[in-house]
Order: sequence, then C-alpha cells, then structure tokens
Amino acid sequence: MVLCGGKFAFPALQLLAYEKFICAIGIGKSNASIVDALERESEENNFGFKSFPDKKSIIEMRAWIETVQPDYIFCISFPFLLPENVLSYGKGKFINFHPGPLPQYRGPMPIFEVLKNQETQTAICAHFMNSKFDQGNIIFNDPVAIQKTDTYGKLSIKLSERLAHITLNTANMLQFASHIPNQIQDETLAYYYEKPELADTYINWKHMTADEIISLINACNPWNNGADTTLQEKRIKIISARLLNKPHNNQTGTIVSITDTLNIACKDNEQIAVEILSTDAGIMTASQFEEQILTNFP
Amino acid sequence: MQTIGILLPRSTYYQTIGFDLYEGLRSGLKHLGKSDIKIVTENIGFGADKQQCYRSAEKLLLEENVSVVIAYIGHRMAQLLRPLFLASNKILIVLDAGANLPGEWPVCPNIFYHSLHNSLGAALAAKKAASNGYTQAGMVTGYYDAGYLHTYSISKGFEETGGTISFNHATGYTTTEFTMEPLKNYLEQFPNSVLLSLFSGDFVQWYFEGIKNLFKEQNIPIYMPPFGFEEMMLSDAQFPSENIKGIAAWSKKLESKENKAFIETISNTGKTPNLFSLLSWESASIALKVIELIDECKNNVIQIAKDLHEFTFESPRGKIYFDSKTNTSIPLLYNASIITNHEGKCEVQIESVVNDVFEHFEKLSTQELNNSTSAWHNSYTCI
Repeated sequence: MVLCGGKFAFPALQLLAYEKFICAIGIGKSNASIVDALERESEENNFGFKSFPDKKSIIEMRAWIETVQPDYIFCISFPFLLPENVLSYGKGKFINFHPGPLPQYRGPMPIFEVLKNQETQTAICAHFMNSKFDQGNIIFNDPVAIQKTDTYGKLSIKLSERLAHITLNTANMLQFASHIPNQIQDETLAYYYEKPELADTYINWKHMTADEIISLINACNPWNNGADTTLQEKRIKIISARLLNKPHNNQTGTIVSITDTLNIACKDNEQIAVEILSTDAGIMTASQFEEQILTNFP
Repeated sequence: MQTIGILLPRSTYYQTIGFDLYEGLRSGLKHLGKSDIKIVTENIGFGADKQQCYRSAEKLLLEENVSVVIAYIGHRMAQLLRPLFLASNKILIVLDAGANLPGEWPVCPNIFYHSLHNSLGAALAAKKAASNGYTQAGMVTGYYDAGYLHTYSISKGFEETGGTISFNHATGYTTTEFTMEPLKNYLEQFPNSVLLSLFSGDFVQWYFEGIKNLFKEQNIPIYMPPFGFEEMMLSDAQFPSENIKGIAAWSKKLESKENKAFIETISNTGKTPNLFSLLSWESASIALKVIELIDECKNNVIQIAKDLHEFTFESPRGKIYFDSKTNTSIPLLYNASIITNHEGKCEVQIESVVNDVFEHFEKLSTQELNNSTSAWHNSYTCI
C-alpha cells in the first residue's frame, strides 16, 4: 500500500504498479484533479483507493488498512502524521521515504532547506515510521547529487524519479530480506525545519552573499513564485537570477544597472543578474520591469 | 581477522568461472602479502535470481560480518543490492563484464564497479573499423550475446564514425541452430562489409569455425570487443581469417612485471589465467584499499568513496583508476588482432594502447540509449 501526497509520488507509483507491488493507494490533501486521476488509475488496476482530505479523515485509516491487509505501507510525502492506532497495524510495516537526509533535515520541505543551505548532496531517506514526524529508525540514506543550477522544481523532479527506483529496491529488499538493518537516529545531528515562512524566503541584502541569494532564489522556484524582496519600495519576488561576476560601488540591495538583466548590488562586492521576477503586475523579464519603472516614474 | 565475501556465479560454457574468480582473489591477496585475510564465498547461480543474490549478500554481511563484498554481477543486480549495502554501511565491489549499458549510471558511495568494459571495447572496435576505411558493416552475434547492450554500443560506435549497418545476423544458441549461412547472402549483397562481431565463450569457437568453413581464405574483415579476445577460448578456436581486429582488455602477452606475477601465480595453482581470474586478482587491490580506508575513515562510507576516487594501482593490464561520476574503474585497453599459431589455432597479438580511453568512456556513459533495454539479468557469460 502506498500513502502519498500528490504527483511527487507518481513515478514511484507507476514503477511499483508495473512490478505488481501495489495493492492500494491512499492520498492525503491534494488537488481534485490529482485525486481523480489516482482514483481512476486505481479502479482500472483493481487497487484499493481512499482519499484522506483532512486530518480528521485519518480516523478512517485503520479500518481501511485492515480491509486491504497490506504487507507493508510506504509513505511518500503523505501530509498527515499517522497516529499510534494506525501504526499499531504492524511494527516495522510502515516505511516513509523522506526527500532529504535524516536526521539532519527533518521537516516538511527538506528540498527547500538543502538548496537554501547550499548543500552539494541531498538524499532520500527510507525509515521506519513512529508517531513523530521523520524520527523512526533509519534504514538508509540514498544520496542524490545537487547541481549548482538546480531549482526546487528541478531537484523535485530528479528526486521523484530517483525515488521510484529506491521504492522498488526497497520493495525487493522487504521481499527477500530476513532482517532489515536499521539504526536509531542520532539526535545530536538532528534538526527539524518548520515549513518555510516569509522570514525564510526573504532576501536579506545586508547579510546574505550573492551566492546565498541565488541559492535562496533557486530554492523558492517555483513553489513560492520566487524569493521575496523589496525593490524600489515595492514587494517583488525574484524567480531566476545568476551571478554577474562584476564588482560595484553601490549600496547593497540597490539596482546597479539594467541591461537585459536587472543587476543588483550584493554585500560581498558581487552583483546578481535578475532574469525573471514577479511583481503585482505579473511575471516579467528585467526589460519589462524597466519599462514598468519608466511608466510609473517617467 | 578481516574477512572478504565474494558472490560466485556459475556458467555452463565457462565452467571454471567460480574457481577462476575465487583463485584470482585468493592469489591476489597472497601476492599483496595478505593471505591472512579470510575469504567467504556464496553461490549465486547464474546471477539472475534476485532472491538468491540478495540472500547470499545478506548472509555475507549479517552472518559472516565481512568487511567488503565482491560480486560478479550486472548493474541491475547491483541496484537490487543497493539498499542492503546502504543500510549495512558496507562497500560492494561489482566485478562487471561491461557487456550491458545501464539505463542510468546512478552513483552510490557504497557500490564501485570494476569493469572489463566489453561495451566500451565494442564501440571502440567499431570506430576502429570505420577509421580503417570500412563504411558498411553487418552486426553478427548470437541469441545470447545479442541480449546485452554492447550490441547498441557497437552499432552506435560505427554509425557515429560515418558507417552504416547494412545487415544484422543473430544466430541461435545451440549447435543445431548456430549457423553463419545467412552471411553468404548478406556478403553478396554488401561485399565490402566488415563483420562487427559479438560472441563470448564457446560461441567464439563456433563462430570462427563457421567463418572458416564458409569463407575459406577470403580473409573477410572481422572486428570484435574484449570478450572476443578471451585467450582461453581462442586457444581452442580455429583460425578463420587474417583480418580479425578489435579491442582487447588484457593478454598473456602484455609485458610488465605485474602481468608476469599474475600469470605465474595463477599458473602455479594449476589454472589458466583468464579475464575472470584477472578481474578478481585486481579486485584484491581494491578490497585491500577499502579495508584500509574503513579504518582510516572510521567507517564513513562517503569519505571512503571520495578516497577511492583518488586511488590508483598497477594491474596486469596497466594502471587502473576510478571515474568519480560513475564509480567505474578505468583501465587501459589495447588495439589487438588475431594471429594463428603453429597448430592453426588463434592467438592474440597486442598492437598498441588505445588512446583517450577515459574520454571514450565518458561519452559512452552519457549517451542516450534511445529506449534500448536489455532483459538479460544474469551475469554476462553465466548461462
């Protein structure tokens, strides 16, 4: 049985279904089109299906699991914590695939955090589940390299594709193993990142280097529509930018020049070249933004 | 006492494969002054049974508590074992014939591939044929060898160098079904074709016999990858043509003190040195380095993997190092041809070292497979 949260799990669902490992799919809080698509696929393949639209609906999960009687339950970005009365279906039967290395990156959005923290490598962690988020015994962390140009979207796709193979390998492992090696999480290395808020997605020009700013912009693209900032006293979001490799004499966080990009001064005497940004008027290129400024302040 | 585990396959046409792999490792360790290291073996049949491979590896890790595992398996089986090695924080050294091309080259710090590079050799043999002036080719292979993606690399290698594959002939795998007769017709239609040929084991002998019988003294051009130059099989193969060239991974004729030591040591055990004993002889150096690094890096596998990327060693076939993008060993490869001995049988003649092996490998490992897949799960030559 797979409990999932949306399309991030689709490649894994497809591969596990192809290899005939799936007996049922549960989905938690997702948009209607995704729920419909999964329900349709489940019906066509004779899988059990159940939607858990909110926390309250988890109360129905134990009875559903008892009906389906799965050997194991895989969780892939399932949004709700499973309570003890669900987990008591079987010790060692619930395995979560966390899209970040554990115990270092606990929390709901590790993809954002690893990018923001400029990690060069992340992981998909397979761990047994307990009644706390991301805290059960670790089976393994399967490493995935991060490229400098990876955005949240690009890395999500990469992880989602990698996850498919990892879930299949894990299913084979469960099928053949006489014992699943696992270890308690080292609490001295553990950190729980809450869901990012404005303070986490906001560019602090005074304190952040150009590299850190670009990492934050990539980490916010596309889920937050870019990194938040204020420019010309207006709240905008920067969606895409690169390092310009040009020194400057300007105050940090101000526009140095506008070419085909919007070139902004950073504290480490570097500039970032903003390619695409989002304002109240819509998503635009640097040139379109320049036109907007000229229109407003001719 | 340190213990190394090795997963040994069996093969009906390389009947000694398990013994060769074991003896190569044992003698390799002894040669390196480490005969005190215990070797524990597990049988994995043809290397295609997932459960047998998994349970054998699990037994070595959990019951025998080995420091490192060596296994003659393919990429796909290695991926099946990936979570087990990640979970147990141990290193797997895959002895890889290199006959298949994986759909992706997923790097895992726990798995290193030590390869004979048959697919790379196939691509290089095809490029060599094209650079020697051949513009048309037929790919000739058997039911068994055709199932591995060296077929893709040999065709792609030829086409990329401007050649055209004019025909394909894949013959059966039993003596009654094995035939080269269709080649007569093909070569009448495409008389200037070179035969890009993929065979291993007994099939090399059958192939050469077929060519000799059908095309006596025509010296038709044949190009082959490393397993076509496997000397144990060639020593019993009839010499069919003066025009057989290609890429060899190793030969008894390579002159170096490392090769001399390898040949003498294996021969003194009453065995014939071959590609399999070579691969596991070399794996002794890698396994010892891993054991040394386990201690130095305090079992931190990521650090061990980083240090292995810097590791080089002199082997019987020359200097070997690892590509950090794919965790795959990069050896020297050799331009070679087949000559006859006084009994009319085949011998390898080494001509020169292939240039830019790493660059060619990099290209191979990044090329698109265009949805080509292989359904052969067993270790190469293990049927």
